[in-house]
Amino acid sequence: MKSVRTDKTDVLQGTLILLVLQTLETLGPLHGYGIARRIEQISRDVLQLNQGTLYPALLRMEQEGWISSRWGASDKNRRARFYSITAAGRRQLAKATEDWKRMSSTIERFLVIDPARLEEEGA
Amino acid sequence: MSWARVVAARLCRLFDHKRFERELDEEVRFHLQMQIEDNLKAGMNPAAARNAALRSFGGIEPMKEIYRERRAFPVVETTVQDLRYAVRTLGKNLGFTTTAVAVLALAIGVNTAMFSVLNAVLLRPLPYKSPDQLVMLWSQNPDRNPREGRTAYWNVEQWRRQSGSFAAMAFFDSASATLTTADRADKISVLRTSPDLFPLLGVQPSQGRVFTAREAEQRERLALISHRFWLSRFGGSLEAIGASIQLDGAPSRIIGILPADFSFGDEDVWEPYTMYPDWDAVRRARGAGFWAVIGRLRPHVTIEQAQEEMDAIARRLDGQLPSAQRNLGIRVAPLSLHVVGTRPRLALWMLAGAVFLVLLIAATNVASLSLARSATREREMAIRAALGASRTRIVRQLLAESLTLAVVAGLLGLLVACAGIRLILAFKPGNLTRLNQVSLDPQVLACALALCLLAGILVGVAPAMAMARRDPGSYGRTGGRGIAGGAATLRTRRALVVTEFALAVILLVGAGLLLRSLWSVQNVDVGFRPKRVLSVSLAPPASTGAAQRSAFYRLVLEQVESVSGVESAGITSELFLSGSAPQAVIAEGDIQPVSERSQFRSDELSKGLFKAIGTPLLRGRFFTDADGPDSPPVALINEAMARQTWPGRDPVGRRFKVGSEDPGSPWFTVVGVVGDMRRQGLEKEPIPQMFQPLAQNPPRRAILLVRTSMADPLSIADAVQAAARRVDKYVPVYGVTTLESQLDAFLTERRFQTWLLIGFSVTAMLIAAIGIYGLIQYTITMRTHEIGIRIAVGAQTGEIFRMIVLEGLQLSLTGLMLGLVGALCLGHVGSSLLFGVTPTDPLTFVTVSLLLTAVGAAACCVPARRAIKIEPVEALRQE
Repeated sequence: MKSVRTDKTDVLQGTLILLVLQTLETLGPLHGYGIARRIEQISRDVLQLNQGTLYPALLRMEQEGWISSRWGASDKNRRARFYSITAAGRRQLAKATEDWKRMSSTIERFLVIDPARLEEEGA
Repeated sequence: MSWARVVAARLCRLFDHKRFERELDEEVRFHLQMQIEDNLKAGMNPAAARNAALRSFGGIEPMKEIYRERRAFPVVETTVQDLRYAVRTLGKNLGFTTTAVAVLALAIGVNTAMFSVLNAVLLRPLPYKSPDQLVMLWSQNPDRNPREGRTAYWNVEQWRRQSGSFAAMAFFDSASATLTTADRADKISVLRTSPDLFPLLGVQPSQGRVFTAREAEQRERLALISHRFWLSRFGGSLEAIGASIQLDGAPSRIIGILPADFSFGDEDVWEPYTMYPDWDAVRRARGAGFWAVIGRLRPHVTIEQAQEEMDAIARRLDGQLPSAQRNLGIRVAPLSLHVVGTRPRLALWMLAGAVFLVLLIAATNVASLSLARSATREREMAIRAALGASRTRIVRQLLAESLTLAVVAGLLGLLVACAGIRLILAFKPGNLTRLNQVSLDPQVLACALALCLLAGILVGVAPAMAMARRDPGSYGRTGGRGIAGGAATLRTRRALVVTEFALAVILLVGAGLLLRSLWSVQNVDVGFRPKRVLSVSLAPPASTGAAQRSAFYRLVLEQVESVSGVESAGITSELFLSGSAPQAVIAEGDIQPVSERSQFRSDELSKGLFKAIGTPLLRGRFFTDADGPDSPPVALINEAMARQTWPGRDPVGRRFKVGSEDPGSPWFTVVGVVGDMRRQGLEKEPIPQMFQPLAQNPPRRAILLVRTSMADPLSIADAVQAAARRVDKYVPVYGVTTLESQLDAFLTERRFQTWLLIGFSVTAMLIAAIGIYGLIQYTITMRTHEIGIRIAVGAQTGEIFRMIVLEGLQLSLTGLMLGLVGALCLGHVGSSLLFGVTPTDPLTFVTVSLLLTAVGAAACCVPARRAIKIEPVEALRQE
């Protein structure tokens, strides 16, 4: 079982928050299971979420004030906790998206630079 | 400010624990249900659907743990949990808990009490403005003078004029004066001081004012009184200001009242320094004198700098001193060192160190006990580890237990400390200043808390480390017997027991040495027979002339000798000495240089004194009635003086002079030699002394010593006092006591230290014995199986007994050796507290070794005897 997990990416904490915020921003209020499913679907199962880890992350985001939660009825009329994004959450999403883009483009640059070309430039 | 919001959110969560748990459960259940349903829709059978759902969720309990930790303040939460659990486990194990708490409470309590003494006497700053800047300045002759020598007026004036290190310098001397009221006369102590003493200490009168420098110089009879005196004599009335009191027969006007919290010595009245009847002579004196000098250093001036400057001044002044006073140095020392001298300081630190060792031993012992207990708790720990408790969590749990123990013990310890402080105060150990200020103040409480934490950590660390070292996986494998991990534990416990023994040995050796010293002091020959002797102080009015005083003393003796029960009586100017001035003694016809001065003491006494106190006459004769004011001056000398001044020759009939070679000073003829008396306390060697007849130089105050036929001389004290009052109604007759109790007072401090240290070390030894007993008992429990087999295959009970006792003895002997080495190393530190015994006294070391070996052996024998009664069948059945 361990070996199965290692070849898929474990979701980093910060990334998980970004994903959750983006999901709630796009889909509106959603329960934990819904969020987990959505992340797995969008990532086409590349980001294998250990679903349990979602809940501590949700708690933290709620404590930060980025999301709020309330108890409501699900489509099958079961009691479920629905999370929705707040204004502070939207700001955080914008900021995190910006950070992420900057970071990924930086890393991108590193990856596309051909060492051979660097040498040429130096000479 | 996101952290603030998180904190706020977490704070809220602290309070709705139950709802939170329910909601978390519900959320997880909902999640799983949805997943299962989706899995079913995807075509799985119900069992597979459920398993897959659980798998993709991951570990539920660990997730909940993380969730919970994030929910509020995990440290607070888990600590509360740890504590609750600790209280429960400790409560379940009452035997262990009671022992541990009792041992620790005793140790913490005694330590706290000791610290409160240390705090009051040594640590708390003196109650004056910026006490760190205050120093005493002493005159000292590096060869012979006492270290704290006092100074003459002229020198003080020069110091004041020439030094730049001091913001202020004041001088004072305490004297006693007779306070006469309408119906009686009392002796009170007065402090004669320069007026700048008060601003120097930073004290202002609560009422009235301080005398001025001008008033002091003009010798105006003014007085400041203490708050205590104000209350007792004037009932706290403001009419005291301006009132007049009769001091030594002359009126003094009260101009100020000092505040209640001011204390500087034990005086009731403060007078200008010029109040000496012979002021002109006092003013002219140079060299050593009777003024104590106190200075306040300028800011940023160190004691070393001040000392350097005073050294230079001393060299400059030396040429202007009379030849007999040459070579006088100046010593600058912190005031605090004067308030509590070096020896009581050392003694206090030694006792504090000793009592701290007791705490270490107690903590070690409890650690050893809880190690034993933790070995039997392995199964519990294994289960907790399997349920997801991390190693740190388990260690924390164990520390929580030991801290809980320590805190409970600390609270009980405070009770012990209160009792201890009372006991110490009741004992009134010697003349420790500021001891009356001992109390449980915040510093002492902080110290108790620190001791608690220290004890808690000391106790908890060993078992926690033993637990942490172990691989959690091995918990399960040891099965239920819970002793397989015991080897490492056993090693630690052995080391702990050895430590206990070593520490106990150090304490016992210290106590043994002090006890030997106490014996030596008690058995020292004081030079007189103190049994059945009554001592009373007398002070004829200061205004009376020599002839009147002489007559007064003669009449008093006549009256007292007629009292029934009195065998003989004598009068002397002083019996016990607090100090002595160095003097040159010049023997007639000797070419001994005048600067050859030494400690010397001269007193006046009546002819019957030596008979009354039982000091033997070695040569010559006692005084007779013929040695009157008009006959040539005669003197009795003691052996020490005979040895020093006329070594190897018979002094009787020879003449000598005291002080200068001034032709005006009289020649004394030696009429007899008496035995040496220890008049400076029991531990000081007698100094050279001379005695003059009372009639030739009647003192201003005297001590009447009466040998009685009563077992309790105090029973005729009233009759003796009445006899003295029959001569003069207004003469203060005070200070009634017995010679024996005066001698005993010299012993109080030493006796206090000794018994305290003995108490500490016996406690330490008992704790160490319990430690070794517990350890042996434990190893036997572990080896029941093995012993059972040995017996079954025919081992003699004697062999088994020997095996166990030897194991214990090996430990106690190792501890003993380490302790003896430690005691040898530490011995010289406290050697100045010893008397008549060396720090390596073989008798003490051998006795302590034998005692500890015996105690160690006894502690092993009890469990060993139980071991040989092990039934093989029983032992094997335990498997």
